[in-house]
Amino acid sequence: MLQSNKDLSHTISLHPSYFGPNMQTQLNDKLYADVEGTCSGRFGYIITVVRVHTIGKGKILPGSGLAEFKVKYQAIVFKPFKGEVVDAVVTTVNKVGFNIILMMGFFADVGPLQVFVSSHLIPSDMKFDPNGNPPCYQSEDQIIQKDIHVRLKIVGTRIDATEIFAIGTIKEDYLGVITPN
Amino acid sequence: MTFDTVYILPSYFDLQLTEFQTAHCLFISELRILLEAQRESKERNAENRPQTNVLQKTMNYVQSFSRFTNMESVREVRSLLKESELSHFEIAQLANLCCDDAEEAKALIPRNTNKLVMEHSLHNKIDDDRLQELMNQMLTIKKFQG
Repeated sequence: MLQSNKDLSHTISLHPSYFGPNMQTQLNDKLYADVEGTCSGRFGYIITVVRVHTIGKGKILPGSGLAEFKVKYQAIVFKPFKGEVVDAVVTTVNKVGFNIILMMGFFADVGPLQVFVSSHLIPSDMKFDPNGNPPCYQSEDQIIQKDIHVRLKIVGTRIDATEIFAIGTIKEDYLGVITPN
Repeated sequence: MTFDTVYILPSYFDLQLTEFQTAHCLFISELRILLEAQRESKERNAENRPQTNVLQKTMNYVQSFSRFTNMESVREVRSLLKESELSHFEIAQLANLCCDDAEEAKALIPRNTNKLVMEHSLHNKIDDDRLQELMNQMLTIKKFQG
């Protein structure tokens, strides 16, 4: 997991009704509301704003009366990279429908990031047991089911406007179920 | 080990860290301390900053995966690894994954094939003995943390 303290900037449009003594607080609140929890291709998830560096001079937009402020701030971001190894918590194990094609595998969460590990990227000695309660992948010495911790490698990512989706593998040395410590 | 050729993507082992080359990578353990401090200060000052879904999920994640549980041990690990010749990203990966031996660390932390950073990658700039020594020290810190 890669978290960085990044310096970012954001432009806020403020309604005239907020102009006044509390404008500073209003701007901060607006910044938190606008950027926290969002995600972009460039920076990944913006988890939380740590510090607001500078708030620029407001500029009134002709026509609407809104004022625009350029804000520079520091935030903690999370962006997964291809080839990165991360620990994850298994959320569901089953057959899942992807555009009508049925795919087998399991989903795991790395914080806000959802990772899908297809059965092709699970070691072949682990067998799917649909009758298990809950359904699971099982080999002689390992079991993958809900809430188990796994170590996986990210092999690809897709970034949408609101979330990032990743494909992972556990079919390599040193990957797979880990014991929590 | 065997690979199905279908699944080997062209730049499988490439890490495109361009945007983050200069950024500071945090450990999961550091993030936990940071987020908990932030939450406390929010409560103290009664700020009405909404708790986003992303923040909540991250919080849960760092709580279950932080290896170093108190401020001193985190600080010790940071200062231990800072003196090594590794990059920010590699340092964070080492501390987050907490591997047992150098071979495991080298297998898990990606080989950087980007020419510019090549000579600075984990695989070239540090020998096994030195890496092993760093990891042993890290495990000792972990073992004896309060």
